Amino acid sequence: MKRFVYINDDEASKELSCDNRISNTKYTLWNFLPKNLWEQFSRFMNQYFLLIACLQLWSLITPVNPASTWGPLIFIFAVSASKEAWDDYHRFLSDKKANEKEVWIVKQGIKKHIQAQEIQVGNIVWLRENDEVPCDLVLLGTSDPQGVCYVETAALDGETDLKTRVIPSACVGIDLELLHRMKGVLECPVPDKDIRRFDANMRLFPPFIDNDVCSLTIKNTLLQSCYLRNTEWACGVSVYTGNQTKLGMSRGIAEPKLTAMDAMIDKLTGAIFVFQIVVVMVLGVAGNVWKDTEARKQWYVQYPEKAPWYELLVIPLRFELLCSIMIPISIKVSLDLVKGLYAKFIEWDVEMVDQETGTASYAANTAISEDLGQVEYILTDKTGTLTDNKMIFRRCCIGGTFYGNENGDALKDAHLLSAITSGSTDVIRFLTVMAICNTVIPVRGKAGDIVYKAQSQDEEALVIAAARLHMVFVGKNANFLEIRLNGSTIRYEVLEILEFTSDRKRMSVVVKDCQDGKIILLSKGADESILPYACAGQQTRTITEAVEHYAQLGLRTLCLAWRELEEDEYLEWSVKFKEASSVLVDREWRIAEVCQKLEHDLYILGVTAIEDRLQDGVPETIEILRKAGINFWMLTGDKQNTAIQIALSCNFISPEPKGQLLLIDGKTEEDVSRSLERVLLTMRTTTSEPKDVAFVIDGWALEIAVKHYRKDFVELAILSRTAICCRVTPSQKAQLVEILKSCDYRTLAIGDGGNDVRMIQQADIGVGISGREGLQAARAADYSIGRFRFLKRLILVHGRYSYNRTAFLSQYSFYKSLLICFIQIFFSFISGVSGTSLFNSVSLMAYNVFYTSVPVLVSVIDKDLSEASVMQHPQILFYCQAGRLLNPSTFAGWFGRSLFHAIVVFVITIHAYANEKSEMEELGMVALSGCIWLQAFVVAQETNSFTVLQHLSIWGNLVGFYVINFLFSAIPSSGMYTIMFRLCSQPCYWITMFLIVGAGMGPIFALKYYRYTYRPSKINILQQAERTGGPILTLGNIETQPRTTLEEEVSPLSIITQPKNRSPVYEPLLSDSPNATRRSFGPTGTPLEFFQSQSRLSSSSSGYSRNCKDN
Amino acid sequence: MPSNTASSSSAPAGSADSSASRTKSKRPKYSKFTQQELPACKPILTPGWVILTFLVISVIFIPLGVVSLFASQDVVEIVDRYDNDCVPTPARANKVAYIQGVSDKSCNRTLVVPKKMKQPIYVYYQLENFYQNHRRYVKSRSDSQLRSVKDENQIDACKPEDDVNGRPIVPCGLIAWSLFNDTYTLSKNNQPLTVNKRGIAWKSDREHKFGKNVFPKNFQEGNITGGGRLDANKSLSEQEDLIVWMRTAALPTFRKLYGKIESDLEKGDTIHVTLLNNYNTYSFDGKKKLVLSTTSWLGGKNDFLGIAYLTVGGICFFLALVFTIMYLVKPRRLGDPTYLSWNRVPGGGR
Repeated sequence: MKRFVYINDDEASKELSCDNRISNTKYTLWNFLPKNLWEQFSRFMNQYFLLIACLQLWSLITPVNPASTWGPLIFIFAVSASKEAWDDYHRFLSDKKANEKEVWIVKQGIKKHIQAQEIQVGNIVWLRENDEVPCDLVLLGTSDPQGVCYVETAALDGETDLKTRVIPSACVGIDLELLHRMKGVLECPVPDKDIRRFDANMRLFPPFIDNDVCSLTIKNTLLQSCYLRNTEWACGVSVYTGNQTKLGMSRGIAEPKLTAMDAMIDKLTGAIFVFQIVVVMVLGVAGNVWKDTEARKQWYVQYPEKAPWYELLVIPLRFELLCSIMIPISIKVSLDLVKGLYAKFIEWDVEMVDQETGTASYAANTAISEDLGQVEYILTDKTGTLTDNKMIFRRCCIGGTFYGNENGDALKDAHLLSAITSGSTDVIRFLTVMAICNTVIPVRGKAGDIVYKAQSQDEEALVIAAARLHMVFVGKNANFLEIRLNGSTIRYEVLEILEFTSDRKRMSVVVKDCQDGKIILLSKGADESILPYACAGQQTRTITEAVEHYAQLGLRTLCLAWRELEEDEYLEWSVKFKEASSVLVDREWRIAEVCQKLEHDLYILGVTAIEDRLQDGVPETIEILRKAGINFWMLTGDKQNTAIQIALSCNFISPEPKGQLLLIDGKTEEDVSRSLERVLLTMRTTTSEPKDVAFVIDGWALEIAVKHYRKDFVELAILSRTAICCRVTPSQKAQLVEILKSCDYRTLAIGDGGNDVRMIQQADIGVGISGREGLQAARAADYSIGRFRFLKRLILVHGRYSYNRTAFLSQYSFYKSLLICFIQIFFSFISGVSGTSLFNSVSLMAYNVFYTSVPVLVSVIDKDLSEASVMQHPQILFYCQAGRLLNPSTFAGWFGRSLFHAIVVFVITIHAYANEKSEMEELGMVALSGCIWLQAFVVAQETNSFTVLQHLSIWGNLVGFYVINFLFSAIPSSGMYTIMFRLCSQPCYWITMFLIVGAGMGPIFALKYYRYTYRPSKINILQQAERTGGPILTLGNIETQPRTTLEEEVSPLSIITQPKNRSPVYEPLLSDSPNATRRSFGPTGTPLEFFQSQSRLSSSSSGYSRNCKDN
Repeated sequence: MPSNTASSSSAPAGSADSSASRTKSKRPKYSKFTQQELPACKPILTPGWVILTFLVISVIFIPLGVVSLFASQDVVEIVDRYDNDCVPTPARANKVAYIQGVSDKSCNRTLVVPKKMKQPIYVYYQLENFYQNHRRYVKSRSDSQLRSVKDENQIDACKPEDDVNGRPIVPCGLIAWSLFNDTYTLSKNNQPLTVNKRGIAWKSDREHKFGKNVFPKNFQEGNITGGGRLDANKSLSEQEDLIVWMRTAALPTFRKLYGKIESDLEKGDTIHVTLLNNYNTYSFDGKKKLVLSTTSWLGGKNDFLGIAYLTVGGICFFLALVFTIMYLVKPRRLGDPTYLSWNRVPGGGR
């Protein structure tokens, strides 16, 4: 599909008539209500509430005033709707601001000032320096005579460095005046969201130069939301406008993520729903039977002899309505509210602010904080995530000579410096490649110093290092580069740039030496993409060894190569290259193919080694999180040895003899299969050992393993706590996340670059590091943090607290609704099973909305353990991971508690208020106050730390209850007129309340004390330790206990068939059960020692490169 | 070119400035609340505190229970069930026919005062197995109609006792329609004993819920007669029997105030009650009782609260005792880190 854009021709472009109005809003004024309601009602819970509310309109069956349901329902819907409306309004405002921004365009040769939204496709738009680009433009002219301009694309891809954009070749040299009257046609693809591609062609109409088709790439475009920098002016023709721009197309609504906890709450809601249906059916049948036997005799009820057909349904439906509060309408609101607050706490946390850049953490997704506390697997990127992504050139190997080996810094290596001064050919060439084989832009700073603007950190490091070694890249003037070496200036003309792609893993430039006119190809790239193309005679052995050596030191390596080209060869190739560059379909692949034709017979100059420093606190963070039972997988695009070295240095894997590294490799299916089998065998036998076993796999083997031996690989994934996957592509990263998710593990993916975006989106929780590789990952992520070490706080503090708080809040919400519901059910047995409500409408409505929701909301600042204790004993996270605080059995506890409390309240009320006191309104209020008192004490008992707010809300709420009821009791027309005054003046009322509290809380308190002291959970022990001020330091032995404790009850094989064996209610996991002693599985096979595996590693990878060469 | 470089150097500086200010404003404000560091009291359940709490509860509850029990014991109560006895022996085979018949329903009962009863002595009638709380029944009333004349047509809720041939019934609904209509005439030692029937209903009901100028209309004129009739010349706010009856009871067994005796009764006094047994409880086997009772500060005779307090207090005392013994026999150090399984030497026995 193509579209044709006619430059400066309103008539011809009419069919594309799409103005530049940006609209990010979800609703319009007219469709807001229906659309919003439709969305809200697509959720089951809301449908349920609506159904209940509608049933209540039938006055025959409604036990209470319909307002008691409609009120809260409308309130809740209004809250959600106004939140949506508010967000949408802000989107509208920002759109409006962008739409009404004034821009200069040219229409019929006249320069005009119009609003941005009026730009049409085909208009020529003029921009000044620091202007924002209003729509996607194809560059036509700039202030620069060479047609270059610079843009900042931060809003688009988050990369903060400047990018060069050039005018198409056809437009070079067009006069400023002529630009106004320019005509032509652009053939471009239909709008898409790929911000790295724009495969189009342009043809200018006479009188403009020739009639040739000129190919366009993304280099010729100015995309919407970019800023023009360092360029006085630029103009371009608009090709995509409004929401059809690359930016507009890439906006998408992310799939909402559901936390494990939400799923559990949904499940429990479902269970309650089933329970409710059963209750309704039983009571409905009982009610009908009672009606037909007893109620007929009760003449004062006047049951008609003949009833309409639906009469049988009336009583069940009444009970359905009476029991409908079992599923509390308030739980949704409370959960939304507290989740929002969790996210705010993350953003407010000053300890998670990156001091260097001052960026605070950000929670883009406010709904999944609890999941953080349940993470079981962390998949992490290496570069920029574990490391700083600050590249520093450290060592090099030129022509077999190692530099920088002695002092660790090649820049200070005397041998290298002397080699430069002596002008050794290889060294000079090496430096030349370092300096010019890149896309770096030198910018002269104020003080005359040169600042390099680079897209890649490696390139920047190389150029800076070259400059330090007296090969200074001074300036870039269009296609001419200026190099200063020892005072003399060398000029090169760049003929072609063969760009870096992740598939090719190398980049090259073709330059012409302006002195002698020689054409040279300069290449740099990963060893496996350079070495196979070395010229036939050259020995690459030393190079391979150097690469190995550097990789073992954890350095990033690049091979540099050089080849002189014949003029003919270049010209011939250049034609093909041009052809490939103007293809519309599969351009990237075609270009790669053509590039391949030039990049061969390379003369390998040497290897550079760049250090990527570890971020602060990475080893500690990993250690703590692993102690917390979280498994780490490292997914990196880097070399195996580099990855292993980084892994070692950041505690990812332990060195021998504690750790053991198993390698899965192979080029063919059989190889991979065999090695996978072997690793699996070792894994199975060593699960009982307190040993850190990790496996290492590379992208190629991973591909095969996942494709053909998925079952085995899944088993391996379950067995191993640690894995290193190197040389993996972005899609493989996402695939690994998906595999772990399919085993029902909660995964967290953390990364910083564009290549991590897919993994971040795929994982249950995506965390982005707002680092130096741009903000792409941080934008896609649910949480963005400044540094890797904040992860431990994010998980152990915020995740854990969120989980605990939601666990309490949700179960408590069910408890209080069940409490009042059980009382209604009991009451129905003494009211002729007729479905009378003991409580009046006002009370029922206010119970969920006011009386019980305020105290529990304050549980969002409850802390069971101090942050310090959690950090000291990260193992405590296990309670969250295994879902110990919210699962069917804890829920059963709350269920039992509400049943017990309902019995207490009901029995005491009907006996204390028997005979002459058994007035309906009074009795109802006594029972209700009993519930309120009990719930206040329940919240108080379950609160671990009382702040002022807790006291205020718990006891203030109790006072509030009386105030509200006094108010209602003062209204003569209300049903409960004077009731509360009467009750409060009776000693009997207060005596009853004390009795209810005493009888209701006593046993629960005793039970809690018993469990707290004699069957304490680990949380309790830590609480006690923390608060008695005793020694909370761990004993000397802080040995990480491997995950084996989890699985030692079951043989490893059964784990595979049942990956979710870690039942949350399965007690002896962490506890001190006697059968938790380790079972040894006999002799542990033949453990591959680390050294062996190391040597195997090197031999295999050298074999690997040899393999490549043979290809 | 020079101008170009100058601008180039200024531009990044400017953007750096703006970004710096932006991040500065993004930096979260520090407060104890946002950092979740509000000073908090973190109580733990130490044995001492828990045992003390239970002891305190039992120390409060047991005396309270004793006091409540005494209060209840002080109340003198005479209960006389008459529904069965007031049906003449020949009619007992079919009590429903008797009660619905037209024969003389009067009946004489004799009560003996067991203990001195101080005034005021409340006269109640007690109904059992009567479901005033039945949903059909409890909803069948119109409060607005009771309150003011102009709302007399608001009878929607009153079905099936809403109107007679299109004329609204005042007061409408099943509750009013089934008004209790047994009457009692008391005499002490052959002297008439005045039962004051004024002021038996709640003051708030008389003044605000039942209108002073609302008079019964078309009451008990339908095809079936329910309970008592009302004096059409007395406004509803003066019909205290009706007002009391319309305060529906929440339990199937309930007492409603009939009147007050404002003189003391001595021990051994005999009280003759002449009652008209009009109200039909026979069709559903409901009991009818006449109750004469004094009151205490806790209300009528009700041992439940006292017993419940004693029980709860006793249990708390027992728990306190058990916890003390457990503490002495098997002391457990709180927060001992050796209880943390991960602090043990892994595989110590291996």
